[in-house]
Amino acid sequence: MVDVFVNKEEKILREKGAENKELEKKEQELYEGNLNLESLLNNPKRHDFWGHTHNPLSSFSFIPDSVKFINEDPEEKVLLLLRKHAITNLSWIFVSFLMIILPFFAQVFIPSGFLTHEFQLIIFLIWYLIILAFSLEKFLSWFFHVNIITDERIIEVDFVNLFYREITDANIDQIQDVTVEMGGAIDTFFRFGNVVIQTAAEIPKITFESVPNPDKVARILRELRIQEEKEKLEGRVR
Amino acid sequence: MNFLTSFEFSALYLIKIATIVFLLLYLIFALLVIKQVKVMTETLQVGFENQIKALVFFHFLFAVLLLIIFIVFVL
Repeated sequence: MVDVFVNKEEKILREKGAENKELEKKEQELYEGNLNLESLLNNPKRHDFWGHTHNPLSSFSFIPDSVKFINEDPEEKVLLLLRKHAITNLSWIFVSFLMIILPFFAQVFIPSGFLTHEFQLIIFLIWYLIILAFSLEKFLSWFFHVNIITDERIIEVDFVNLFYREITDANIDQIQDVTVEMGGAIDTFFRFGNVVIQTAAEIPKITFESVPNPDKVARILRELRIQEEKEKLEGRVR
Repeated sequence: MNFLTSFEFSALYLIKIATIVFLLLYLIFALLVIKQVKVMTETLQVGFENQIKALVFFHFLFAVLLLIIFIVFVL
């Protein structure tokens, strides 16, 4: 169905020495969207799919095994779980590292002669408590800011900071336009970028920020839209 | 000389007050983080909830421990 699946499927078939004809047929099925989404989701080989991972910290997880989210429909199946590429965390990790080593340099400049030894130690520990809070906030904001694509809709869960969250969703059939934005040396090198989705929903634009393999995400969305169109024509609406 | 000693004394006193206020506020913040993580894990479950809950709980424990150390050894 989607090309992220195609590569792995192709590899598996080649490894098993399947005939070229069978491979071609399978590829055709996948590209033309003839393969049923249900069969893809219930495929016992889904653990071998490209992008399928059991790492909960992964930025790109194709058909994840155990993802649940608020207001999920019982029949809804998660196809893709995305979050910002791990490399985007580098800036706050670097700042934290600088903060960690700062006290060793600051001791030379800050006079602390009138403070007792115990008090100095407490000040030192408080500084590390602040670093811990800073790192924790950045990590949690990254971890819980996810984009989910299900067989029925797209969802953006955004924890702007520790005390503010925003959940946006739009049905697949409400998607009007999908744009992939990729620019800059780091984005190109690590293959991540924005996927901007124009929708006919109440919120006209949903952006999947700095997600890995944005082209593949756009392709999956396109395939889902085609499938949704087909379902509409066939009169199958869940 | 007396003036300098009393100045140092009151400055130290002020720093101690500020530190304890900061640590108490931090404790409230750590509690709020625990509460917020609970809300976050209810919103999204990816199989890493226990580790994150443990992390924020240790963060809270660290804040409590620091407050106790400060009260026992510095105040």
